[in-house]
Amino acid sequence: MAEIFDRLVIRILLAAFVCLMLYLYRYAHVIFYPSVKRQVLKRINPAENPADSLHLFARLIGISLVFSSITFNESSGFFLSIFHFAVWGTIAIVLYLLSLFIVESIVFYNFDYKDEILKRKNMSYAFISFCHAIVIAYLTRTVMIEAENSLIILLVLWLYMLVIVGFSVKYYIFISKLSFNRLMLQKNLSLCFSYGGFALGAGFIIASCFDQEHYDITVYCIQVLLKTILSLLIFPLFKKGLVYIFPIKLGEDRGHQGHIDADMQSLGYGFYEGSVFIAGAILTTMIVNRIQFGTIYPFF
Amino acid sequence: MYKFFLYTILTILYLGLAKALSPSETGVQYLQNNKGFSKIVKGHQSTMILVDTHATGFLIKTYYQKYRLISGYDTVEEIIVRTSREFAKKNLKFIGLSIYRKSPEKEEFLPLPPGSLYVGNREYGEWRENKKGEIRWRFNKVFKNFPKYLGWGKFRPDEEFFQELRSRASLNEPFFGVQGEFGPQGKITQENFPHFFNEERMKKVDMKTLLIEYFKENF
Repeated sequence: MAEIFDRLVIRILLAAFVCLMLYLYRYAHVIFYPSVKRQVLKRINPAENPADSLHLFARLIGISLVFSSITFNESSGFFLSIFHFAVWGTIAIVLYLLSLFIVESIVFYNFDYKDEILKRKNMSYAFISFCHAIVIAYLTRTVMIEAENSLIILLVLWLYMLVIVGFSVKYYIFISKLSFNRLMLQKNLSLCFSYGGFALGAGFIIASCFDQEHYDITVYCIQVLLKTILSLLIFPLFKKGLVYIFPIKLGEDRGHQGHIDADMQSLGYGFYEGSVFIAGAILTTMIVNRIQFGTIYPFF
Repeated sequence: MYKFFLYTILTILYLGLAKALSPSETGVQYLQNNKGFSKIVKGHQSTMILVDTHATGFLIKTYYQKYRLISGYDTVEEIIVRTSREFAKKNLKFIGLSIYRKSPEKEEFLPLPPGSLYVGNREYGEWRENKKGEIRWRFNKVFKNFPKYLGWGKFRPDEEFFQELRSRASLNEPFFGVQGEFGPQGKITQENFPHFFNEERMKKVDMKTLLIEYFKENF
């Protein structure tokens, strides 16, 4: 009984420590978003600016996802495991926020957080930011797991992941019919669902490319690169196939360009594109990762 | 057009990278035809016996062959090579035979029973009369394991076999033994290279049996 009670106490203490790390994260968040200082450090009013609430709390979900990759090893002692969590938690916070900052700088290079969220309360911006937060968290979590407590490998994989994510977010303009900058200015929700689907899909694909056994970091990186290129080849096939199997009608039967544009900016079209991107991405991961060809080297 | 161009570039990039880094490309040598043997076989007095052959792939097949390389005083090794379709098909009827022989004087590509390079060579053995009064080839003590390596089993060549071997070689005709003991139809080859003749591999399964077995295994 004493042992069970002791374990319960340890769990409660560790939960409290995780909360403490989250408290630290709240302040770390201010480093990358100095303009939110006043809102973050004071009591938050979600009703005042839903876009800001979505933007901020998406990061809370994200950091929770990243923290979930860290393990406590109680066999090495309570304080050592807390120290381990503190070190890796801090690394996780820094990498996560830095990744988010870099990716958002690439995607929102024409937009400013202060203008879009604080002034214009742009929900489209907030939702895209939400998707970025989740995707980057999932990917950071994946590389942290793959790094297996090696800081050097973590840094290499994290940089590698960032390069792939950086290229992949640029891929959106090739596969979507929606104009990102124009619709973002219009606070269009169709864009956010379409881009959200794309970002989540890309996240699935990249995470699945990183999720493999590794013995040698060079070979591992090459395998990841090969899988990424293969995904780039497979994904358009699924996208074309899904569009062909589930055709859509835009505008009236003899509708002119204006009607088509209006339909494309509707929420339904955003759902449609987003769903096609996610479904295509999931199916791509299946084709890239779930086909067992058996041993490559011929043993017979 | 732009997207198509990009897709083509990506495909080429993927194929190029995958080919350069694939273990099957880097680990297995390619043997297009007979001429490639000399690159693989380094030692003298060497013979390459075709032990097994295998094809992988669905639409585009890749052919592999397994050879037993016996080189005079060196150790015996088994080598797997990737080969061309034509070469694989051509040699399918020469399983268990020596496809290649290399001596200091020459290279030979005529399919002959394994050990034909050594039989009659006094460096490796001699003709000796056995208890039954038959004159058979016997390897020297140093090479006592050669019959096992060559896949002879209990077979020991007699002079008739040797004469026939020389006569066929001079006519440039493949030789499967006096009684046809060697090759895919030969008893000695079937006994000593059982993997190729494994019943499971030889069995041609029809769709019905395949489905029944699938449901038995999975449900």
